[in-house]
Amino acid sequence: MSKPADAGSRSRALAARAISAVIDEGRSLDAALATLPADLPAADRSLCRMLAYGTLRDHRRLDAMLAPRIQRPPQPLLKALLLVGLFQLEAMRVPPHAAVHATVGATVELKMGKARGMVNAILRAHQRSAPTLADDHPGLLHSYPDWLADAVQADWAEQGDGVLAAGNQRAPMHLRVNLRRTTRDAYLQTLLDADLRADPLALCVDGLTLAEPVSTEQLPGFANGLVSVQDGAAQLAADLMKLADGQRVLDACAAPGNKTAHLLERADIDLLALDIDESRLATHAATMKRLGLACHERIADAAQLDDWWDKQLFDRILLDAPCSGTGVIRRHPDIKWLRRASDIAQAATRQRALLESLWTTLAPGGRLVYATCSILRAEGSDVVAEFIAQTDDAREVVIAADWGAPEPVGRRIAPGEQGFDGFYYAVIKRAGG
Amino acid sequence: MAILEILHFPDPRLREITTPVTQFDAALSSFIDDMFETMYDAPGVGLASTQVGDTRRLAVMDCSDDKSQPIVMCNPRILWTEEAETVDEGCLSVPDHYDRVTRYRRLRFAAEDRDGTPYEMGAEDLLAQCVQHELAHLDGGLYIDKLSRLKRQRIRRKLAKAARRAEETS
Repeated sequence: MSKPADAGSRSRALAARAISAVIDEGRSLDAALATLPADLPAADRSLCRMLAYGTLRDHRRLDAMLAPRIQRPPQPLLKALLLVGLFQLEAMRVPPHAAVHATVGATVELKMGKARGMVNAILRAHQRSAPTLADDHPGLLHSYPDWLADAVQADWAEQGDGVLAAGNQRAPMHLRVNLRRTTRDAYLQTLLDADLRADPLALCVDGLTLAEPVSTEQLPGFANGLVSVQDGAAQLAADLMKLADGQRVLDACAAPGNKTAHLLERADIDLLALDIDESRLATHAATMKRLGLACHERIADAAQLDDWWDKQLFDRILLDAPCSGTGVIRRHPDIKWLRRASDIAQAATRQRALLESLWTTLAPGGRLVYATCSILRAEGSDVVAEFIAQTDDAREVVIAADWGAPEPVGRRIAPGEQGFDGFYYAVIKRAGG
Repeated sequence: MAILEILHFPDPRLREITTPVTQFDAALSSFIDDMFETMYDAPGVGLASTQVGDTRRLAVMDCSDDKSQPIVMCNPRILWTEEAETVDEGCLSVPDHYDRVTRYRRLRFAAEDRDGTPYEMGAEDLLAQCVQHELAHLDGGLYIDKLSRLKRQRIRRKLAKAARRAEETS
């Protein structure tokens, strides 16, 4: 009798499919994992996610380990499965024989049963003698494309290696307590009662960090809006806005609505939330409903003022600009392989255009908070510094804070610092008023 | 030790009905070692003599993940069974095919080990399934006999095609 194609094989096969969707079809990992079968048991689902995340984090290194063992490139899905196999042997606490067996079994799941001998041979050969890779090449060592490894090294100097390595760590789960519904201490107790350990985030007044990530269904009161999932770095935006009741506020790139909600939890403001993406703005509306918050929502490109602006000036603007996402690679390892070098300049152009357009909607004396989850200067300090230099009534408000490090303009946070995602913030004030 | 060739459906030798093992000697022991090696290499959890072209009534099994539970069954017979269930099953003689079949979840069987010493053993889940699968082999049966004729023909065509392709490439 053959070895049964067990659940372990199914997880491996599904992980290989998700990886191939990212690498070969350019889809996001979130989108690829959203199509996992509904009947997949929770344990297999979490194993599949772990395999997909881990293999994508390590993709370049694993690829380099596979290369000497194959004569010609295998078909994409088979290659993804081989990498999943190597990842387990390299990095997971799965007994090697179980990893090999389940991965070989996955060939049948993927209707590539003819390749089972090849998969078996390659994984067993790796088990016998894993190749050693050169460790003096940052892109290979940390598994990043060269252009990105080089850009990070150039921007972060001696911190570069640490920043690249931090992008491969698993991220903690941070929460934001809805202060309109409860207090941080009360919610900490609620978590404790549910046997979930958490600690306050020192630098975020309404933030918590969970000892172990859980699904939102397991979070007490999540559906009722007691709490949201949001990285601590993103929670800093609300402080920088210096909100007061009655202010007219714009959130220019608002979806999925975590930062918008945070602003509304903090003060009674008149807030307009814009987003260019209709489906993402639908998520935004769901977030508002869950948290019991209200604001105006509109689908529009914030840079096209004629499409949406009623000529009423804003006291505060949050520009959480679209960016490369290089600061959140630890949560989205697919970013490493989906971005191209040219995307950075394109993002910077868009960021600059948004700043310029929105500036005219800001009241004299008002403040604009510029944020990105990028760790590259080209999307951070460079954009804002150039804008301030070329705009008569734009003044930098120097951020005095215990997080991050000062940049030529603004502050940036290295991924992993305080447990935070990599982030960039600048505060700009409009003169007069 | 050696890895033996596993016969594939529809090889007529898979339909042989085996005869009881009577000679428990070094040659038998060595053949059993080869069967284990062949089974582990496949990889399988059970292998019957007919699958490697032998007609002695014996099979080997190991349902563990780490080769830690090898079982030799010479002249096996099932004593009792209970609780039929439908499970996925595959056979080393029907490569790359799995199907749903009905098997008993628990059973007890009697057999002799490689030295001819009789023993009895209870089995459940995968091991019970495997005992039933291997016993069928020893009477010339295959699990696909339980499937519809249409399905069996489809498998036969698929295997014939795969065999032709293997021949062309070799």
